[in-house]
Formats: sequence, C-alpha cells, structure tokens
Amino acid sequence: MRVELKKFGTTLISRQNGRESFAAFQPQLSALVENENLELDFEGVITFSPSWGDEFLSPLLKQYGPRLILMKTGNPSVKATLELLEKINRVNFKIS
Amino acid sequence: MLLCGYMAQELITISEAAQILGVSVDTLRRWDKTGKLNPIKTSEAGYRLYDRSQIELYLNDLFVFAKEWVLKDSEIPSKFYCSNSAAFQTKLTQMQDLLMGVAELSSTFPLLVAVAGEIGNNSFDHNLGSWPDTPGIFFAYDVHKRTIVLADRGLGVLATLKRVRPELNTDEQALKVAFTEILSGRSPESRGNGLKFVRKIVSENPISLLFQTGDAQLALAKEENDLNIKTSSEPFRGCLALISF
Repeated sequence: MRVELKKFGTTLISRQNGRESFAAFQPQLSALVENENLELDFEGVITFSPSWGDEFLSPLLKQYGPRLILMKTGNPSVKATLELLEKINRVNFKIS
Repeated sequence: MLLCGYMAQELITISEAAQILGVSVDTLRRWDKTGKLNPIKTSEAGYRLYDRSQIELYLNDLFVFAKEWVLKDSEIPSKFYCSNSAAFQTKLTQMQDLLMGVAELSSTFPLLVAVAGEIGNNSFDHNLGSWPDTPGIFFAYDVHKRTIVLADRGLGVLATLKRVRPELNTDEQALKVAFTEILSGRSPESRGNGLKFVRKIVSENPISLLFQTGDAQLALAKEENDLNIKTSSEPFRGCLALISF
C-alpha cells in the first residue's frame, strides 16, 4: 500500500496535528494485508518536522518495522527529521 | 541648533557586536563580506568597528518587542501574538509561503520553517494547561532583515525538563541537556527532542540562533559545535529565540 503524505497537509509540523493525522490514518491501515509493505511518499510535502514525524512515523515504525518503507526525497527538512527520529527510536528507516 | 540631529557614535568591537546580535564573530565577518551588515569603519590596525546604535537598530524592533514582553509582560502588537497552536500553524504557513518565494532561500526555507515550528510548538506542547500567566507565544519575522523571533512566558526549559530529569538545577544545565541529549522513550512524555533538531540544522546551514531561558543564553551558528552558553544579566521565566538567516 502506498500512501501520499501530502494528503495530510504540505506543512507537517506540530505534534497535535501529527496525532490527529495518525488517528485519521487508522481506517486505511486496517486495509493493509498480512506481509504487505506500507510505503509512505513525501512528494509534495513542503515542510516536515520531528514533532509531527514522531507522532506519525514512530508508532508506524514500531508496529511495522521493516515493512514500513519511506520513499526517497530530496526535501532537507524530511531528511533531517528522519535522521533524528532514527536516533530517538534507535532504529533505521527502510528508505527506497 | 546645528547639533539637533546629531547622535554621538559609540564604537564597539566585532566581538561586542556579535554578543549583542547573538551571532558568532565569524558570522559577522561573513555578513561584512556579503554586504548584509558592514562595520561603520575599520581601525588603523585593521579591526572592524561598529556603531552600537547601528547594531541595535539592525536587531530591529521585533526582538525588542519580544524581549520586553518576556521581561515585563508589556503590550505587543496583536499581529505578533499567537494565542494557541492553531493560530501559530496558520502564521507559520504564511511565513513558509513568503520564504518559498525568495530565490536565494530555495534550498533552506523548509529548514527555517521546521526550526521555527519546533521552537514555537515546544512552547505550546510544554505549557499546555500550565501557563503561569499569559498563554501563547510571540511570533514575528522580517524577511527583508532575515530574522525570525519567537518567545513565550511559559515555565521555561528548566522547569519542563525537571519533570523527567529532577537532578537538573540550573538554567544552563537544562539548556545544555535540551540542545544536546537525545531523550529516548521518555516517560510520561515522549516529547522534547526538537531542540536537538534545531541545533543540527543551525550547525549545517547559514542560520544562527540566539536562545535564552531563565538566566542562560545560548548562541549557535553554522559549523560551531560549542553552545556558547553564558549567563544573561536579564533573566526571565519563559523562552526567547532569535533566528537569523
């Protein structure tokens, strides 16, 4: 399953918004079949921050582990955020 | 009468100017080369000299407004005030749209927005339900002068971090932990790593940061590993940040 993060907004900044987005994402997640990968696409996201990312990506990383795949992006705020989240969670994201 | 408009110059060194502005001496040298901020004259020995009033004017009224607010709860223009997180998100998105249109910021503007976002959201996340008096934050920017200013009258970094690190006793210790230590799996709250992100972005980009909480003031700039923490003669309870880019 591939999900475009821009559908949650193009400025993904606050914890509050990250939590709300994660909650809104749950019905879609239930359609993910066993062993299917969850691919997240950052295309179209303008600004991304650790607060939003920690609320949205960290629980997905814990739940899906290597099945969570992040699509490569050149956005510097995404790259810097992912590096910090990897340190916080002590796990590296799978990036494709 | 001839002296009516005359203002005496108070010449200061590059180090003094850097301290007032909250940037490094190297940053000021770079600003001189690029024409962003030139010294008023050069001494016979070749040292750059600045006029104190020139530097204070450069800091512009935004920082003065914010500082007066955190120190004295003075009145601030409503356009600089965000009473809640949603108001801040709206203003931050407006700033993002403005910065996006500046050609020379095309590669760094998402980082500037993310840095301002982390500092502003920290204020809301850590003080929700605990604001000592005025809730909300000061948030203003001047794209022409390349500055962003944020401030809050919240509990401050020490009081917030003490919840999870009770051994901390001073603002300086708290500031150091906030900007350097990755806190993993914090309980009961997981938040609190945003300022490490801020430090990383500033150290890798042409951005400088002055951040004060309590009586501790920190100055960060590109390629500087030192936090440059010093004691401020004007302590206050919340947080005050000046981002220059």
